Amino acid sequence: MTVRNKVMTLPEAVDRFVRDGDTLHLGGFIQQQPFAAAHEILRQGKKELVLSICAGMILADQFIGAGAVSHLITTFCWNPLPATAHAFVRAVTRGIPRPIELEEYSILTLNLAYFAGAMDLPYVASKTVMGSGFDSENSPDGAKNRLRFEISPFTGERVCLVPPIRHDVGIIQVQRADPFGNAQSWGMLGESRYGMLSCERIVVCAEEIVDPDVISRDPNRTMIPGFRVDAVVEVPWGAHPSPVAGYYDMDWLYFAHYERRTRDQEGFREFMDKWVYGVPDREAYLGLMSRTRLEALRPDPRDADPVPYGTFSRHFEEARDA
Amino acid sequence: MPSPDKRTPTPVERMIVAASHLVEDHAVLMVGTQWPIIVSLLARATHAPGAVICYEGGIVLQDMPGRIPLFTADPVVQSCAAFLGESLDTLGMVLHGGRCRMALLSAASVDRFGNINTTCIGPYVSPTLRFGGSGGACDFGSLSPRTVIVMEHDRRRFPERVDFITTPGYLDGGGERYRAGLRPRTGPYAVVTTLGLFRFNEAGEMILSGFHEGTDVEEIRGQVQWDLKVADDVGPLPSPTPLELDTLRRLDPERMYLEYKRLLEGKEISL
Repeated sequence: MTVRNKVMTLPEAVDRFVRDGDTLHLGGFIQQQPFAAAHEILRQGKKELVLSICAGMILADQFIGAGAVSHLITTFCWNPLPATAHAFVRAVTRGIPRPIELEEYSILTLNLAYFAGAMDLPYVASKTVMGSGFDSENSPDGAKNRLRFEISPFTGERVCLVPPIRHDVGIIQVQRADPFGNAQSWGMLGESRYGMLSCERIVVCAEEIVDPDVISRDPNRTMIPGFRVDAVVEVPWGAHPSPVAGYYDMDWLYFAHYERRTRDQEGFREFMDKWVYGVPDREAYLGLMSRTRLEALRPDPRDADPVPYGTFSRHFEEARDA
Repeated sequence: MPSPDKRTPTPVERMIVAASHLVEDHAVLMVGTQWPIIVSLLARATHAPGAVICYEGGIVLQDMPGRIPLFTADPVVQSCAAFLGESLDTLGMVLHGGRCRMALLSAASVDRFGNINTTCIGPYVSPTLRFGGSGGACDFGSLSPRTVIVMEHDRRRFPERVDFITTPGYLDGGGERYRAGLRPRTGPYAVVTTLGLFRFNEAGEMILSGFHEGTDVEEIRGQVQWDLKVADDVGPLPSPTPLELDTLRRLDPERMYLEYKRLLEGKEISL
């Protein structure tokens, strides 16, 4: 089998695969959010993006405050302290730095939309959100989204139809990938699998690039098969301040720091000038923090037991007489 | 705030303990972020050791976590899980699939018919205040046979009608919820606050069912923005037992929930 080595630098991957006006999916449900890649997208000045992210959190907040997003598809946007995601609120309530269109879903409906998108299903029917502010028939002044409500031809009951959502490009931070793009991930997976598989182009950022043998010894753990992937980038700590299972904890102090510093637009700009625009790469970003404090975010070791997959080299043998 | 070694429970501790009493042993729970985390763990640690705790990111818990999760995606929960999958596993196959008995939620505000708003104040397109949004809450409240809402009591958070229904309760009451298409035998079951316990009548209207020590019916009636109905058998709620209080405080020794230490207020942050 001939396979292409897709390893490249983060600036190259972003330059080649993220375009102005793209529908951009950032993967990772709270965990494994691709902060390093996202910051590179902002540094390269990509604009007019349609950002699709299940858990908005402060990653969506940074894109919105930077003015890079014209339309946001999400299920929530806040700082998990819990506290306000200030840039998101400024944009929605006052159009600062620019107004954004919101397309809001519940987590289940957005997951179903990604699922339908990955399989190119015309829609998926469900029994959730009806009567809520996400139900445009019941709440004409409610949330804007693409859910539709119809009578089921099977049962005659009212159902919520979820449209497929597909993306031009998707990026996620995973634990490990091989040079061909086979990406393995574990921990809480949220919407990661179908969110990423509904993307036309895929960039995988990995804590570690590993030998293909590591992947094929445990293929159940592969979330994205390599043939779907366009670029592989090794970025240790690439999800910071969000966590990566087995690699590092959520950086709670960073979330609190972000909340304090971004309460007004000027503070937001100063924050971004320091942490995003003022650094050339992830190494420099990490250099802004105490290494001792970062290392303390590492978990104590706790490994799964290996599982037997076995191997075979022959077909059946006929039974022999004793 | 009283110091943790005092034997008198704080209002927040009373709220958590009262909510934990609603959890049945062996019930399958969909647990939302904030108060539901500590409520469900307290139930597990006391009268409901067999309760099954599920989170929206795709987690089914096995053991008690080594530190109290600060939210449902706290990495500690994947070190003590029986199952780690996707949101389609828990929100899809557990909740939508009809395998869940009770959902537990926090809320920014809740109205007379148990509708929850965690989205905005004012019109959706031009809100005066904007909150985080649904997350999985809308699905919890749409699909769970019983939804329990846990929140600190503040009159401003109890309007007659919420500005935006993030999570459907009984809508306008009188069967409106089911006419909208939501399944029969689903909906809000109780609201537990720092003042008392509320349940819902046949018409889907919230009624006062019990009050914590130190308050009474009249005080609570003044703390919602409509003419609150009162159950015939309204009475004082049981106070937390010393064992419950002790268990709760051991679950949260750093007072992350019990005194909001997770917000790091007044603390210098050095990165």
